[in-house]
Amino acid sequence: MTTNFPAPPLVPGDGDSASPLVPDDGDAQLASALRALYTAPDAPAYWSALEQRIMDRITGGEGFDAWWVVPAQWARLGLIAAGFALIVAGSLFLRSRAEQRQMAYDSLLGPGNGGPTIAIRDAQTERQATINYINGR
Amino acid sequence: MTSIALRPASVTLVGRTSRRVTTPDRPDDEKALVLSAQRGELEAFSELVRRHQRRAYAVARAIVTTHEDAEDAVQDAFLHAYRALHRFLPDQAFGAWLHRIVANASLDITRRRKVRDADDLPETIASPFRDPAESDELRRLLRAALERLPERQRAVIVLHDVEGFKHSEIGQLLGIPEGTARSDLHYARSALRRLLNQLRSPQ
Repeated sequence: MTTNFPAPPLVPGDGDSASPLVPDDGDAQLASALRALYTAPDAPAYWSALEQRIMDRITGGEGFDAWWVVPAQWARLGLIAAGFALIVAGSLFLRSRAEQRQMAYDSLLGPGNGGPTIAIRDAQTERQATINYINGR
Repeated sequence: MTSIALRPASVTLVGRTSRRVTTPDRPDDEKALVLSAQRGELEAFSELVRRHQRRAYAVARAIVTTHEDAEDAVQDAFLHAYRALHRFLPDQAFGAWLHRIVANASLDITRRRKVRDADDLPETIASPFRDPAESDELRRLLRAALERLPERQRAVIVLHDVEGFKHSEIGQLLGIPEGTARSDLHYARSALRRLLNQLRSPQ
Protein backbone atom coordinates (compact mmCIF):
# COMPACT_ATOMS: atom_id res chain seq x y z
CA MET A 1 0.00 0.00 0.00
CA THR A 2 1.38 3.36 -0.93
CA THR A 3 0.70 6.51 0.89
CA ASN A 4 0.67 9.84 -0.88
CA PHE A 5 2.07 12.50 1.31
CA PRO A 6 1.20 16.02 0.35
CA ALA A 7 4.11 17.85 -1.19
CA PRO A 8 5.68 20.43 1.05
CA PRO A 9 4.74 23.97 0.10
CA LEU A 10 7.15 25.82 -2.13
CA VAL A 11 6.85 28.85 0.06
CA PRO A 12 5.65 28.86 3.66
CA GLY A 13 2.10 29.87 4.37
CA ASP A 14 -1.01 29.63 2.26
CA GLY A 15 -1.07 33.20 1.11
CA ASP A 16 -3.46 34.42 3.74
CA SER A 17 -1.04 36.32 5.90
CA ALA A 18 -2.88 38.64 8.22
CA SER A 19 -1.13 41.92 7.56
CA PRO A 20 0.00 43.33 4.24
CA LEU A 21 2.49 45.50 6.06
CA VAL A 22 4.43 42.73 7.73
CA PRO A 23 6.13 40.47 5.22
CA ASP A 24 6.85 37.02 6.57
CA ASP A 25 9.34 34.34 5.58
CA GLY A 26 7.12 33.22 2.76
CA ASP A 27 7.24 36.69 1.23
CA ALA A 28 11.01 36.72 1.47
CA GLN A 29 11.28 33.33 -0.24
CA LEU A 30 8.82 34.39 -2.87
CA ALA A 31 10.81 37.56 -3.54
CA SER A 32 13.95 35.48 -3.82
CA ALA A 33 12.32 33.15 -6.33
CA LEU A 34 11.01 36.12 -8.31
CA ARG A 35 14.46 37.68 -8.44
CA ALA A 36 15.87 34.44 -9.78
CA LEU A 37 13.16 34.37 -12.42
CA TYR A 38 13.60 37.97 -13.50
CA THR A 39 17.36 38.13 -13.57
CA ALA A 40 18.43 40.50 -16.30
CA PRO A 41 21.04 39.43 -18.81
CA ASP A 42 24.46 40.03 -17.35
CA ALA A 43 26.83 39.84 -20.28
CA PRO A 44 28.27 43.24 -21.27
CA ALA A 45 28.08 42.15 -24.90
CA TYR A 46 24.31 41.87 -24.60
CA TRP A 47 23.98 45.46 -23.38
CA SER A 48 26.37 46.76 -26.01
CA ALA A 49 24.31 45.03 -28.68
CA LEU A 50 21.05 46.43 -27.30
CA GLU A 51 22.50 49.93 -27.17
CA GLN A 52 23.65 49.54 -30.76
CA ARG A 53 20.19 48.42 -31.87
CA ILE A 54 18.61 51.43 -30.16
CA MET A 55 21.06 53.85 -31.75
CA ASP A 56 20.65 52.15 -35.13
CA ARG A 57 16.91 52.74 -34.96
CA ILE A 58 17.47 56.39 -34.06
CA THR A 59 20.07 57.11 -36.73
CA GLY A 60 18.23 54.95 -39.23
CA GLY A 61 15.49 57.53 -39.49
CA GLU A 62 13.03 56.38 -36.87
CA GLY A 63 14.40 58.85 -34.37
CA PHE A 64 13.88 61.86 -36.55
CA ASP A 65 10.64 63.68 -36.71
CA ALA A 66 8.25 63.00 -39.53
CA TRP A 67 7.88 65.84 -42.03
CA TRP A 68 4.54 66.92 -40.63
CA VAL A 69 5.97 67.32 -37.16
CA VAL A 70 8.36 70.07 -38.27
CA PRO A 71 5.58 72.39 -39.52
CA ALA A 72 3.71 71.60 -36.32
CA GLN A 73 6.68 72.84 -34.32
CA TRP A 74 6.62 76.09 -36.29
CA ALA A 75 2.86 76.43 -35.98
CA ARG A 76 3.01 78.27 -32.67
CA LEU A 77 5.49 80.79 -34.04
CA GLY A 78 3.35 81.22 -37.13
CA LEU A 79 0.23 81.81 -35.06
CA ILE A 80 2.00 84.46 -32.99
CA ALA A 81 3.26 86.20 -36.13
CA ALA A 82 -0.20 86.04 -37.71
CA GLY A 83 -1.77 87.51 -34.58
CA PHE A 84 0.75 90.34 -34.53
CA ALA A 85 0.17 91.04 -38.22
CA LEU A 86 -3.58 91.10 -37.59
CA ILE A 87 -3.18 93.63 -34.80
CA VAL A 88 -0.97 95.87 -36.95
CA ALA A 89 -3.35 95.65 -39.91
CA GLY A 90 -6.32 96.41 -37.67
CA SER A 91 -4.70 99.46 -36.13
CA LEU A 92 -3.68 100.76 -39.56
CA PHE A 93 -7.22 100.26 -40.83
CA LEU A 94 -8.72 102.12 -37.88
CA ARG A 95 -6.18 104.90 -38.27
CA SER A 96 -6.93 105.35 -41.97
CA ARG A 97 -10.66 105.36 -41.25
CA ALA A 98 -10.18 108.08 -38.66
CA GLU A 99 -8.16 110.11 -41.14
CA GLN A 100 -10.83 109.68 -43.80
CA ARG A 101 -13.49 110.78 -41.37
CA GLN A 102 -11.46 113.82 -40.41
CA MET A 103 -11.00 114.69 -44.09
CA ALA A 104 -14.73 114.35 -44.62
CA TYR A 105 -15.40 116.74 -41.74
CA ASP A 106 -12.79 119.11 -43.04
CA SER A 107 -14.30 119.04 -46.49
CA LEU A 108 -17.67 119.95 -45.05
CA LEU A 109 -16.68 122.46 -42.42
CA GLY A 110 -13.29 123.74 -43.56
CA PRO A 111 -12.64 127.12 -45.29
CA GLY A 112 -13.73 127.47 -48.96
CA ASN A 113 -16.58 125.07 -48.61
CA GLY A 114 -20.18 125.21 -47.41
CA GLY A 115 -19.83 128.02 -44.84
CA PRO A 116 -18.12 130.61 -47.00
CA THR A 117 -20.36 129.80 -49.96
CA ILE A 118 -23.33 130.75 -47.90
CA ALA A 119 -21.51 133.87 -46.75
CA ILE A 120 -20.68 134.77 -50.33
CA ARG A 121 -24.20 134.07 -51.30
CA ASP A 122 -25.31 136.31 -48.44
CA ALA A 123 -22.80 138.91 -49.53
CA GLN A 124 -24.01 138.72 -53.11
CA THR A 125 -27.53 139.08 -51.92
CA GLU A 126 -26.53 142.10 -49.87
CA ARG A 127 -24.66 143.58 -52.79
CA GLN A 128 -27.53 142.83 -55.06
CA ALA A 129 -29.85 144.44 -52.59
CA THR A 130 -27.62 147.52 -52.56
CA ILE A 131 -27.56 147.65 -56.35
CA ASN A 132 -31.28 147.20 -56.46
CA TYR A 133 -31.67 150.02 -53.96
CA ILE A 134 -29.42 152.36 -56.00
CA ASN A 135 -31.13 151.42 -59.22
CA GLY A 136 -34.44 152.04 -57.55
CA ARG A 137 -33.42 155.54 -56.65
CA MET B 1 29.67 74.32 -26.85
CA THR B 2 30.15 72.21 -23.77
CA SER B 3 32.34 69.20 -24.24
CA ILE B 4 31.61 66.17 -22.15
CA ALA B 5 33.95 63.38 -21.26
CA LEU B 6 31.91 60.28 -21.86
CA ARG B 7 32.53 57.53 -19.42
CA PRO B 8 31.29 53.97 -19.35
CA ALA B 9 28.04 53.39 -17.52
CA SER B 10 28.35 52.68 -13.88
CA VAL B 11 26.01 50.15 -12.44
CA THR B 12 25.79 49.67 -8.73
CA LEU B 13 23.93 47.12 -6.73
CA VAL B 14 22.40 48.69 -3.69
CA GLY B 15 19.16 48.77 -1.79
CA ARG B 16 17.23 46.69 0.60
CA THR B 17 17.22 43.70 -1.68
CA SER B 18 20.88 44.24 -2.59
CA ARG B 19 19.90 43.90 -6.21
CA ARG B 20 18.58 47.27 -7.15
CA VAL B 21 20.38 48.60 -10.16
CA THR B 22 20.74 52.33 -9.81
CA THR B 23 21.34 54.98 -12.36
CA PRO B 24 24.54 56.93 -11.85
CA ASP B 25 24.51 59.48 -9.10
CA ARG B 26 25.98 62.26 -11.20
CA PRO B 27 23.18 64.74 -11.73
CA ASP B 28 25.36 67.55 -13.10
CA ASP B 29 27.08 65.24 -15.49
CA GLU B 30 23.76 63.81 -16.56
CA LYS B 31 22.24 67.24 -17.01
CA ALA B 32 25.13 68.17 -19.29
CA LEU B 33 24.57 64.97 -21.21
CA VAL B 34 20.88 65.75 -21.62
CA LEU B 35 21.67 69.28 -22.80
CA SER B 36 24.16 67.94 -25.33
CA ALA B 37 21.66 65.36 -26.54
CA GLN B 38 19.05 68.10 -26.89
CA ARG B 39 21.50 69.97 -29.13
CA GLY B 40 21.58 66.89 -31.32
CA GLU B 41 24.78 65.22 -30.18
CA LEU B 42 24.10 61.55 -30.76
CA GLU B 43 27.08 60.42 -28.71
CA ALA B 44 25.57 62.10 -25.65
CA PHE B 45 22.27 60.30 -26.16
CA SER B 46 24.14 57.06 -26.69
CA GLU B 47 25.75 57.57 -23.29
CA LEU B 48 22.31 58.11 -21.75
CA VAL B 49 21.18 54.84 -23.32
CA ARG B 50 24.26 53.11 -21.94
CA ARG B 51 23.56 54.38 -18.45
CA HIS B 52 19.85 53.72 -18.29
CA GLN B 53 19.13 50.68 -20.43
CA ARG B 54 19.52 48.09 -17.66
CA ARG B 55 17.08 49.84 -15.37
CA ALA B 56 14.77 50.47 -18.30
CA TYR B 57 14.87 46.76 -19.12
CA ALA B 58 14.03 45.92 -15.50
CA VAL B 59 10.99 48.21 -15.57
CA ALA B 60 9.83 46.79 -18.88
CA ARG B 61 10.43 43.18 -17.80
CA ALA B 62 8.22 43.72 -14.78
CA ILE B 63 5.31 44.71 -16.96
CA VAL B 64 5.56 42.54 -20.07
CA THR B 65 5.65 38.76 -19.94
CA THR B 66 8.65 37.90 -22.08
CA HIS B 67 12.25 38.90 -22.47
CA GLU B 68 11.70 39.75 -26.14
CA ASP B 69 8.81 42.07 -25.35
CA ALA B 70 10.93 43.77 -22.71
CA GLU B 71 13.64 44.37 -25.30
CA ASP B 72 11.10 45.81 -27.73
CA ALA B 73 9.66 48.04 -25.02
CA VAL B 74 13.10 49.37 -24.12
CA GLN B 75 13.90 50.16 -27.74
CA ASP B 76 10.54 51.82 -28.32
CA ALA B 77 10.91 53.82 -25.13
CA PHE B 78 14.34 55.18 -26.01
CA LEU B 79 13.03 56.09 -29.44
CA HIS B 80 10.10 57.97 -27.90
CA ALA B 81 12.46 59.62 -25.45
CA TYR B 82 14.74 60.79 -28.26
CA ARG B 83 11.82 62.24 -30.18
CA ALA B 84 10.46 64.00 -27.11
CA LEU B 85 13.83 65.12 -25.77
CA HIS B 86 13.23 68.75 -26.73
CA ARG B 87 10.27 68.79 -24.34
CA PHE B 88 12.25 67.41 -21.40
CA LEU B 89 13.38 69.95 -18.78
CA PRO B 90 17.02 69.17 -17.96
CA ASP B 91 16.54 70.04 -14.28
CA GLN B 92 14.25 67.04 -13.87
CA ALA B 93 15.47 63.51 -13.24
CA PHE B 94 16.05 61.91 -16.61
CA GLY B 95 15.70 58.41 -15.16
CA ALA B 96 12.26 59.01 -13.69
CA TRP B 97 11.08 60.59 -16.94
CA LEU B 98 12.47 57.70 -18.96
CA HIS B 99 10.93 55.07 -16.69
CA ARG B 100 7.48 56.50 -17.23
CA ILE B 101 8.05 56.28 -20.97
CA VAL B 102 9.28 52.69 -20.59
CA ALA B 103 6.22 51.79 -18.51
CA ASN B 104 3.92 53.29 -21.14
CA ALA B 105 5.73 51.48 -23.95
CA SER B 106 5.49 48.22 -22.00
CA LEU B 107 1.79 48.65 -21.30
CA ASP B 108 1.28 49.44 -24.97
CA ILE B 109 3.03 46.23 -25.99
CA THR B 110 0.98 44.28 -23.46
CA ARG B 111 -2.23 45.68 -24.95
CA ARG B 112 -1.10 44.83 -28.48
CA ARG B 113 -0.13 41.33 -27.40
CA LYS B 114 -3.61 40.82 -25.99
CA VAL B 115 -5.13 41.73 -29.30
CA ARG B 116 -2.83 39.46 -31.27
CA ASP B 117 -3.14 36.58 -28.85
CA ALA B 118 0.49 36.05 -28.07
CA ASP B 119 0.13 32.32 -27.56
CA ASP B 120 -0.26 31.82 -31.28
CA LEU B 121 2.82 33.77 -32.22
CA PRO B 122 5.93 31.82 -33.17
CA GLU B 123 8.84 32.02 -30.81
CA THR B 124 11.06 34.91 -31.79
CA ILE B 125 14.76 34.69 -31.31
CA ALA B 126 16.09 38.19 -31.18
CA SER B 127 19.45 37.52 -29.65
CA PRO B 128 21.61 34.71 -28.39
CA PHE B 129 20.77 35.79 -24.86
CA ARG B 130 17.64 33.94 -23.93
CA ASP B 131 15.47 34.83 -21.01
CA PRO B 132 17.30 33.54 -17.98
CA ALA B 133 13.98 32.58 -16.46
CA GLU B 134 13.97 29.05 -17.83
CA SER B 135 14.24 25.46 -16.62
CA ASP B 136 14.00 24.39 -13.02
CA GLU B 137 10.66 23.36 -11.58
CA LEU B 138 10.21 26.25 -9.22
CA ARG B 139 10.77 28.70 -12.05
CA ARG B 140 8.29 26.86 -14.24
CA LEU B 141 5.69 26.84 -11.53
CA LEU B 142 6.37 30.43 -10.66
CA ARG B 143 6.00 31.42 -14.29
CA ALA B 144 2.70 29.55 -14.49
CA ALA B 145 1.50 31.24 -11.33
CA LEU B 146 2.56 34.66 -12.56
CA GLU B 147 0.61 34.15 -15.77
CA ARG B 148 -2.52 33.69 -13.70
CA LEU B 149 -2.03 36.96 -11.86
CA PRO B 150 -3.75 40.11 -13.10
CA GLU B 151 -1.27 42.17 -15.13
CA ARG B 152 -1.13 45.05 -12.73
CA GLN B 153 -0.54 42.87 -9.70
CA ARG B 154 2.25 41.06 -11.52
CA ALA B 155 3.90 44.33 -12.46
CA VAL B 156 3.59 45.66 -8.91
CA ILE B 157 5.10 42.61 -7.24
CA VAL B 158 8.02 42.43 -9.68
CA LEU B 159 8.72 46.15 -9.50
CA HIS B 160 8.65 46.00 -5.71
CA ASP B 161 10.19 42.67 -4.82
CA VAL B 162 12.64 42.33 -7.67
CA GLU B 163 13.57 45.88 -8.58
CA GLY B 164 13.10 47.51 -5.20
CA PHE B 165 10.81 50.33 -6.31
CA LYS B 166 8.83 52.05 -3.58
CA HIS B 167 5.04 52.01 -3.59
CA SER B 168 4.91 55.67 -4.56
CA GLU B 169 7.31 55.11 -7.46
CA ILE B 170 5.28 52.15 -8.65
CA GLY B 171 2.15 54.27 -8.44
CA GLN B 172 3.74 56.92 -10.64
CA LEU B 173 5.02 54.39 -13.14
CA LEU B 174 1.74 52.56 -13.54
CA GLY B 175 -0.53 55.55 -13.06
CA ILE B 176 -2.24 54.24 -9.94
CA PRO B 177 -2.51 55.60 -6.38
CA GLU B 178 0.16 54.58 -3.90
CA GLY B 179 -2.42 52.81 -1.77
CA THR B 180 -3.52 50.75 -4.73
CA ALA B 181 0.06 49.71 -5.38
CA ARG B 182 0.34 48.69 -1.74
CA SER B 183 -2.81 46.61 -1.77
CA ASP B 184 -1.93 45.12 -5.16
CA LEU B 185 1.35 43.96 -3.68
CA HIS B 186 -0.41 42.26 -0.81
CA TYR B 187 -2.91 40.52 -3.04
CA ALA B 188 -0.23 39.52 -5.52
CA ARG B 189 1.91 37.93 -2.83
CA SER B 190 -1.01 36.08 -1.34
CA ALA B 191 -2.23 34.90 -4.71
CA LEU B 192 1.20 33.79 -5.85
CA ARG B 193 1.81 31.77 -2.72
CA ARG B 194 -1.58 30.15 -2.97
CA LEU B 195 -1.14 29.43 -6.69
CA LEU B 196 2.32 28.02 -6.20
CA ASN B 197 1.13 25.60 -3.58
CA GLN B 198 -1.87 24.62 -5.70
CA LEU B 199 0.34 23.99 -8.70
CA ARG B 200 2.77 22.03 -6.58
CA SER B 201 0.11 19.75 -5.12
CA PRO B 202 -2.98 20.02 -7.31
CA GLN B 203 -4.85 17.34 -5.37
